[in-house]
Amino acid sequence: MKPTRLALAAGMSVLALGAAACSSSSETSTGGTTGGSGDESDLTIGFLYVGPKDDYGYNQAAYEGSQAVQAAFPNAKILQAENVPETAEAETVMEDMIEQGADIIFPTSYGHLEFAQNVAKDHPDTIFVHQGGLEGEDKLDNLGTYFGTVYEPVYTAGVAAGEATESNKLGYVYAFPIPQTLANINAFALGAQSVNPDAEVIAVSTGSWCDPGLQAQAAKSLIDQGADVLTQHQDCTKTIIEAAEAAGAMSVGYHFDASDLAPNGWITGSEWNWGPLYTDIVQTVVDGKFVDSPYNGDFRVGLQTGDNPFVQSSYGSMVSAETQAKIDEIKQSFIDGGSPFAGPVLKQDGTIVWESGQQPTYEEVETMDFFVEGVTGKID
Amino acid sequence: MIEAVAIGAVAGGTSILLPTLGEVVSERSGVINLGTEGSMLAGALAAYIVGIQTGNPWIGIVAGLAAGAALAMVHAFFVLVRGANQIATGLVVTFLGLGLTAMFGQDYVGQGVVALENVPIPGLSQLPFVGPVLFDHDPITYLSLLAVPALWWFLARTKAGLRLRAAGERPQVLRTFGTNERTVRALAVTAGGALAGLGGAQLATAFTRNWSEGMTVGRGFVAVGLVIFAAWDPRKALIGAYLFSGAIALQLQLQAQGSDISRYLLSALPYLVVIVSLAALSRRRVNAAPEALDHVFEHAS
Amino acid sequence: MNPAASASASATATAAAGNASADGSVVDAPPDGAVLDTPPGAGPDADAVATPSRWRAAGMATLRWAAALAGALVIFGLFLFARGASPVDAYLAMLDSAFGDSRAIGDTLLRATPLLLAALAVAVPARAGMFNIGGEGQLVLGAVGAMAMSFALDGAIAGPPAFVLLALAGMVAGACWALIPAILKVVLRTNEAIVSLLLNYVAVIVLTWLVFEPWKDPKSTGQAYSKALPSDERLPILWANRVHVGIILAIVAAFVIWAAFRSTRWGFKLQVLGGNPEAARRAGLRVGALAVGAMAVGGALAGLGGMLEVSGVEGRLRPGIMVGFGYIGFLASWLAKHHPLKAIVSAFVLAAIAIGGNGLKIEAGVSGAAVNVLMALVLLAVLGFARPNTKATS
Repeated sequence: MKPTRLALAAGMSVLALGAAACSSSSETSTGGTTGGSGDESDLTIGFLYVGPKDDYGYNQAAYEGSQAVQAAFPNAKILQAENVPETAEAETVMEDMIEQGADIIFPTSYGHLEFAQNVAKDHPDTIFVHQGGLEGEDKLDNLGTYFGTVYEPVYTAGVAAGEATESNKLGYVYAFPIPQTLANINAFALGAQSVNPDAEVIAVSTGSWCDPGLQAQAAKSLIDQGADVLTQHQDCTKTIIEAAEAAGAMSVGYHFDASDLAPNGWITGSEWNWGPLYTDIVQTVVDGKFVDSPYNGDFRVGLQTGDNPFVQSSYGSMVSAETQAKIDEIKQSFIDGGSPFAGPVLKQDGTIVWESGQQPTYEEVETMDFFVEGVTGKID
Repeated sequence: MIEAVAIGAVAGGTSILLPTLGEVVSERSGVINLGTEGSMLAGALAAYIVGIQTGNPWIGIVAGLAAGAALAMVHAFFVLVRGANQIATGLVVTFLGLGLTAMFGQDYVGQGVVALENVPIPGLSQLPFVGPVLFDHDPITYLSLLAVPALWWFLARTKAGLRLRAAGERPQVLRTFGTNERTVRALAVTAGGALAGLGGAQLATAFTRNWSEGMTVGRGFVAVGLVIFAAWDPRKALIGAYLFSGAIALQLQLQAQGSDISRYLLSALPYLVVIVSLAALSRRRVNAAPEALDHVFEHAS
Repeated sequence: MNPAASASASATATAAAGNASADGSVVDAPPDGAVLDTPPGAGPDADAVATPSRWRAAGMATLRWAAALAGALVIFGLFLFARGASPVDAYLAMLDSAFGDSRAIGDTLLRATPLLLAALAVAVPARAGMFNIGGEGQLVLGAVGAMAMSFALDGAIAGPPAFVLLALAGMVAGACWALIPAILKVVLRTNEAIVSLLLNYVAVIVLTWLVFEPWKDPKSTGQAYSKALPSDERLPILWANRVHVGIILAIVAAFVIWAAFRSTRWGFKLQVLGGNPEAARRAGLRVGALAVGAMAVGGALAGLGGMLEVSGVEGRLRPGIMVGFGYIGFLASWLAKHHPLKAIVSAFVLAAIAIGGNGLKIEAGVSGAAVNVLMALVLLAVLGFARPNTKATS
């Protein structure tokens, strides 16, 4: 904590003093300490989540990443803020965290980015690493973004689902038609089609990241359309997986290994393992090497470039050894430079997006705004 | 597809029907309760937590009923004893329910719960159309279907029902028979909250098998609207609740079929259906309102 | 329905409900002064007479308020304790978040701005005996209207004239949204409380559609947002980095409404209508037009709040802006017993609690939504206890 800030804190009202004192228990600077050595008693790290931190989904995955950071830096103070909306309120929360002495802030939802940029400009000494965004033209020395190539394990899960389905209809419940969701749905469809050309993905939107009532209805309508595999891009995932299981349909999970919720129908899923990446980012900051590191830009990691923090979940019993071997092969091809979106890729209406031999860049994938052929659903 | 929408209307409609019936009871006695939304949340969380703790979903259901009733008692106390305004107090009670469930539900988000499973009724569930639509649901849904005629009969044919209606229509008469209408109203509001709590419990432990903050997303408010739509009649409440829930099922069904209609328009459909039918029916509904809904307010500032 | 009811058959449940939605004492009070000087919820005996006893009454009212608030704080503290958090630490964290430094105070002022306008949006219809629970949707539509005007201007006008146009557009849009329940009520006698409430859900869907479809910023690769307002259509910042001129406008609006209630024929007519619609009708007032007008003014005020939020804070539209502001505004108006000047205080108090929720989140580990409990308790205390004589329903 900076001396000026300390002075400021001391100058606050009597009532505020107690709270400020809690967060300013040390006074040395962060420079020169080494990670995991237990010497970061003054390191404060803030995490913002858009939803509750135990939603069996996106936010829980991020929260568990923060716990891995805590394990690696046992003396660091971790600040948690759940249910931070993607509005200017996020700015207020981040300012609050800086007031508490935050050295690093992880705003973990897409919509927090612009507010992180605003706050970062006013607080050059605090490092901001945003999950899932693209920096745009605004390059700052104290801000970066990171994400995994989520669509890779979604593609391989699609392969498993394409093999498992008997009705050739796969149901997909999603929240909003944002590029990452569209990329997931498309990757899932392409993966399924790669082993089962008749596979069709039916995409239904609930217009909410977590509305269990609508999720239950959406699951019903998909099953009624004949889907025998359900998957999703929602923040809370439990309802849909349980609905599929109760209806005798199969499940592909997202965000989190929920195989215990679906002992009969679990195929596989994709889940986050943020711990190693978060810890490495914090270590980089602690070492004073953040500026100009890959994390100080739009850091994307996939199978080709390193350890994708988004990994495939465990397999259910119906996935044959043969299919698993096929998936391992596909993963290897991604490691060797392939992409789930290797051409030819066609849009819903049959127009061609990527020719045979072409494949999109990370950035092109993250600005995707269409459904591929074989997806039933409407974006607008 | 009609069958699928009908199934969805009933399955998803229980958590709207029960609070609507609860609100009918409350309003028939002369008290509007916008706290229904809060009672639902309280019922949902209580059923979820107690279900997890005891491993018995039925104990959870009872807890849900009790929690819904408890919150409604707050409404009853402030409205009937302290004379606070009903609309304002109701919304405040909803805030209270939202906040308390957020606070105490934090540790239970996404936890595994022993769900109330569907119990197909032998024989009847095999019937074409009617079978899957009406006879393949969770026990609370059957209960809610039975509650409709039961409540109608209670209100129309029993002495207690007559007292309840008298509290809503002519409290003076009630008083000449030595019954205080405030007692009747307090009981009615509490019972209404219990029904709302039951609806929330069904939503959490049977329909979605999940708890998340604010998961009722306005169902309790919709219920208050549907009471007017239903002209304070339990039988019409059934129609209203299934109409709303059917509109949700329909919009998702249309999406799944790849319909060309705008997704956004479809998602507004359930609310528009309620608003339009309220408007279309309102002239006829005005005279059906329990009279005390007028009177209570005049003294309630 | 019994025959006796036909006497009041013209009044719907809510019209009658509205009779007492404004302070009960208003009915008998002279048009000027009474509303201002009456302590919240004071009975007719405390009304309008400018004597020393008035000061005593005001002192007593203040005492009752303080007791009610203290009770609410204690009960919420017990809840926090039950939740495993230290109430003292939690309250300190909340205080720190809401008032800890100039930035925190700024955040509180910033939040108070839309809340105050949303409260006034409730207070004006309430005076005419109507319930507007649609502040949430009217705020959103105000933001949408302002944005639409910005697109229409396309940068042709900048600075103050642009602000005026944006504000007008926001007010018109908010008023139009409020006209739906108002006209349905007057023409078809539909319950305006319920319709305005349900329209909140529709407004959010309209906003989501705009943000994802026609107005989407092509650069929004994560959660979608609209294109940004040009920087010269952003309201000037006054203080603490973020506090914009909106807070002054909102306070001015409160004074204007207060003055209009106090000393215009319109304010008087609204009061008569709110007090007794039958009498108003017999007195030859154009009841329908007055009611619709009151709702429209309310909607316009909320619409202004939406414009200020988009031009002063957010800079663009996003799904999820101003969630809950309309409902909290409703509570603020009731906390102030629909008195425009007292609403300034109540909006500020509720804003502080809302902002304090961040401290609760970060430091006490309690869900931020827990502040709803504190707001509810404060409201219950004031609705149920902060008055001298209890008049339960007869």
